[in-house]
Amino acid sequence: MESIPALTIEDVADIDNILADYIQKSEADLAVVVDKGGNVLAQYGDLDVIDVTIIGALAAGSFAATKELAKRIGEVEFNALFHQGNGTHMFMSSVDEDTIMITVFGSETTIGLVRFYSTGAAKSLAGILHTFRTRASPGFNFEAGDLGGGQVFQENP
Amino acid sequence: MSIINYARKEIQFKIVYYGPALCGKTTNLQYIHSRIDPGHRGDLVSLATAADRTLFFDFLPVNAVAIRGFSTKFQLYTVPGQVIYNATRQLVLRSVDGVVFVVDSQWEKMEENVESFRNLTENLEKQNLSLDNIPYVVQYNKRDLPNVAPLSYLEFLFNNRRKRVQTFEASASAGDNVFATLNAVSQLLLHKFTRENQGTGAAAPAAS
Repeated sequence: MESIPALTIEDVADIDNILADYIQKSEADLAVVVDKGGNVLAQYGDLDVIDVTIIGALAAGSFAATKELAKRIGEVEFNALFHQGNGTHMFMSSVDEDTIMITVFGSETTIGLVRFYSTGAAKSLAGILHTFRTRASPGFNFEAGDLGGGQVFQENP
Repeated sequence: MSIINYARKEIQFKIVYYGPALCGKTTNLQYIHSRIDPGHRGDLVSLATAADRTLFFDFLPVNAVAIRGFSTKFQLYTVPGQVIYNATRQLVLRSVDGVVFVVDSQWEKMEENVESFRNLTENLEKQNLSLDNIPYVVQYNKRDLPNVAPLSYLEFLFNNRRKRVQTFEASASAGDNVFATLNAVSQLLLHKFTRENQGTGAAAPAAS
């Protein structure tokens, strides 16, 4: 944890704008940006129906798992994955080498439209995320006393 | 790697439960899931085979204490213990912040335990990490079974590095010391986090 990446309020606003534009144009339901360790960086859209944290962890795992498959056909990794459901589908695409964007969409749009608009959104996101990863942390003033002396997690009887 | 989100006022940490096959990693997460306030946790996701062996990982998101208005979110993962799944273990270890190494205390499992501990150090090194600089604790599980190795022997095998760490005698199936283990590694993580961010800059900007 030598250099802890910090998403500032401005970063999140910029990312939200990109995702809002992408969701509107592609007519998708939800977009989630996760790093390849499974951490959720940003999310936008219809969030009520889905536990985004779990989606992030599973998508990162799914993306990583197919990397070996890609190697077998001479690729470094697949840039995009598409999971087709009966009514709801998922499209996962690489934003940069550390980040994935997950898009959930239904029958009101098409994979072609989602794929088309995801390219531009990914390019815009990559610029912000590069800055986020390379700049110095804005800094904190946490003190040991901030933690208190209690247990972090309580066990129910 | 932990991530701070100023807009959502949260800090994310990733803890990985590591150890040999059938040592009780998944059982730890199942117990935590069953005994933590449902409002403070998500679903427990297990990617397992038909025989309930972990194939990819188990995952449990849990929320904890707030630090200066920032909520802390912990993502608990297990790795598949079977030797052949080393590539998967490396994937799950990606961006790890803290580790719980779970030892199967039974005598006949000692070789697998030692091999798994060695495998952990190797896989951390591949990410330029080391047990010298990452918070970790050791859990000696299955202490309720009759054929377990004595504590002194386990300490010699798994807590004999320059840096001694906290260890816990546990029975994950009964829930003994499961939360003590989780609380210990979480406290280590939070203290490391606050230590490294003590007076390093301006106070966190308020959410607009």
